Amino acid sequence: MGIRIICLLSVMSFGLDARPISYTGGSTIMAFSDNIKNSIYYHYSPSYKYSIGIEVIRNKYFNDNYSYVRYTYLINRKNTENSQRNLYFQSGVSSKGFDEFFYGIHGDWETRRLFVGFGIKETERKIQDYLEQYYQIGVAPYLGDYGDLHTWIMIKAKDNSLENKWSTYPVLKFFKGNVLMEFGYSKKTKWDIHLMYRF
Amino acid sequence: MKNILLILIFTSMAWGETPHDGMHHTHEGHVHEEFVDGKKLEVDPERFDKFVMDLEDTQIAIVNVQGMVCDFCARGIEKTFKKDTNVKKVDVDLSKGKVLIAYNVAHEIIFDDIKEKILINGQNAIDMKVINL
Repeated sequence: MGIRIICLLSVMSFGLDARPISYTGGSTIMAFSDNIKNSIYYHYSPSYKYSIGIEVIRNKYFNDNYSYVRYTYLINRKNTENSQRNLYFQSGVSSKGFDEFFYGIHGDWETRRLFVGFGIKETERKIQDYLEQYYQIGVAPYLGDYGDLHTWIMIKAKDNSLENKWSTYPVLKFFKGNVLMEFGYSKKTKWDIHLMYRF
Repeated sequence: MKNILLILIFTSMAWGETPHDGMHHTHEGHVHEEFVDGKKLEVDPERFDKFVMDLEDTQIAIVNVQGMVCDFCARGIEKTFKKDTNVKKVDVDLSKGKVLIAYNVAHEIIFDDIKEKILINGQNAIDMKVINL
């Protein structure tokens, strides 16, 4: 049943977006923390089609520190009157050398009321290669106006090949103005926190 | 897994769609008039009245925008237009998918310029109406 749901979400979300690129000339700084890593990521978007950035990582699983020079490219976007969907390619090369890197795709589709997103990322490291994936679906309990506090209630399922265990848990996302905050908690993988400021 | 990722990327590129250019219909008149394609302008009257309350000698561009589904992703639209010294005020109406831009009355409003400014934020402007106050 779980696999069917994941497959369904994957199909639903295929071809969609996740705001890893800002508007042209815009910058974004993010802080992220989960059971695998803590990271700070800054990116700049010369165009709405791609962004370049640096991510500084504290890897909890391998107990080491490194950085990635990252590049994200908008492969596909579809704007409609009531929705937007995007698909992105993401990649990064490690400060530990060109033989340590990652690549993947992620995307989402959203209306003002509904959200579906996914991400798949393969990381190549000298120690061990691993695959991470997540699927996320959400609903906005109310429709805020421009400038209001916006809230999303979501369910996220994620897995990585290091621990090889799926965890599915609730996530709350809030944003107001240029600030976005996302909090998820699972008994298996503990906190999943994502903070973002765009300027 | 690498092969699956590559297939997904190339498949989605094949599905890739360029941003919708839409039609350009600019004409002046009252806020409740219709676009030439027959669609209602659908500007919230209260919102419009509030927007123009402190404005004089101004022309308002009401722009229909596709893909403007969240506050966070519409922020760049406001920032971009506010950099223009001819712009007095900007309002984003997420519920109607509209951007209201108040320009100096002497400024020539060109829809292609507005389309470009919306596009660099990642959305598509598909229609516009100009109202003189």
